[in-house]
Amino acid sequence: MPSEPRIPIEPTLEELSAYLDHELDDDARARVAQHVAGCADCQARLDGLRETAFAIRALPMETPPRTFTIPAKRRETFRWAPVAGWIGGLAAAMLIIVVSVQHLPFSPAGMSTAAPAQPVSGGLGQGGVPYAQGAPYREVAPLGQSTQNDSSLGAFSSNSKTVAGAKGSSSSLTISTDSASYPASGVITLHVTTKGLSSAEASSVRIFVMRDGQGGYAVRLVPPSNAPAYPFDYQASYSIPQMQLPAPVAGKYSLQVTIDTSDHSGLVAWLPLTITH
Amino acid sequence: MDDRDLVGRARRGDPEAFTQLMMQYQVPLYNMALRMVGRPDDAADIAQEAFTRAWQKIRTLRDAPFKSWLFQIGANLCYDHFRRGKRYGEMPDEETNKVVGLGIATPDPQERAEASERNRLVRQSIEALEPDMRLAIILRDVNGMAYDEIAGVLRVPLGTVKSRIARARAQVQEHLQRYPDFFPSTREDAHAE
Repeated sequence: MPSEPRIPIEPTLEELSAYLDHELDDDARARVAQHVAGCADCQARLDGLRETAFAIRALPMETPPRTFTIPAKRRETFRWAPVAGWIGGLAAAMLIIVVSVQHLPFSPAGMSTAAPAQPVSGGLGQGGVPYAQGAPYREVAPLGQSTQNDSSLGAFSSNSKTVAGAKGSSSSLTISTDSASYPASGVITLHVTTKGLSSAEASSVRIFVMRDGQGGYAVRLVPPSNAPAYPFDYQASYSIPQMQLPAPVAGKYSLQVTIDTSDHSGLVAWLPLTITH
Repeated sequence: MDDRDLVGRARRGDPEAFTQLMMQYQVPLYNMALRMVGRPDDAADIAQEAFTRAWQKIRTLRDAPFKSWLFQIGANLCYDHFRRGKRYGEMPDEETNKVVGLGIATPDPQERAEASERNRLVRQSIEALEPDMRLAIILRDVNGMAYDEIAGVLRVPLGTVKSRIARARAQVQEHLQRYPDFFPSTREDAHAE
């Protein structure tokens, strides 16, 4: 118990932990802050929890060892599913109407409100705005001359990741960068290469720099204008200031390279990057 | 891009839209499973199965956020993994997996070895937690989810989330304190709250 009678009651373990996560309401947060400021024991407990959380958060995010796929099965059956859902929903709505007519005084207005209240699962035209192809992210072109299809190029060994294609496929995608950490004024040089992919089974390569923990793509790194052909193999440099990353720029990012394949599986390589002040 | 748009398209059978969702969530979902079950192959199997089920059942998804729903499927598969009698698997050395320790370049072999050892101890302490607490702390400290988001994944009240995270942190701390050098007196960490 705190020795000073004026400071608020000692916070529980749950309160200290939630305090670290900014998950307390304003009153509780103020109470914990006030107590901790005057209680060395609770300050030490809080520090211990904070360092523990830091240690867990410092575990690296791993790249999946293989590409994930979705089965084609649903595509075959899906055409019938909305129809079945529609019929089911319609039948349910009709049943409700019949029940309403049988059990309630007749009221056209009542009928008209009862029927639409029934959910029609999967009904075409419900929900979902058509996906906008317009890019909601900034695009950055490579600096100067980029090289490609040059067998002398090798993957940077300092920060590299190779992912294999779906099970049964011999394809692979490798991405590497010349460093894992860059100053905010720096230049990222990356090398992207594919194996076992032809133009017929793979579409264009998309490269994004994403800020960790904030979701969504931050910046798209545009491949060199002399468009690549498979096997894809090029090296290019991109200016970090040109990316105009939102402040604070320093932090953890991911470089994500994606190739859509004709079997809808896609190849994704993901590499952690750190940008410092 | 908005998950709702992609979910809407995926519900209508658009595999490209679902692939976009899959690409967006594959790393966090895989890492949740990895920290739950330990072995990369098992985690990849769980993530694959979660995506397969999500694709097949996406028409049943109504107002719930896709992310919570997907992680709920993944979490259930992790529990199934242990129900089938499988044990927590050993994670191979990060060195062989080409992961940069702490997300920061550490070219010095000694620094890398130290970072790798710290991570091994943290993994060990997470493994020692019972699954409910392990999942809660993974969703918070590995996946960075807010408490209400975690409550949605676990389908438990907010107070339960708060309690599980707190108790899990206390147990992990107790485990790590057995190693006197683990918590340095001062530190600079980019993961500030």
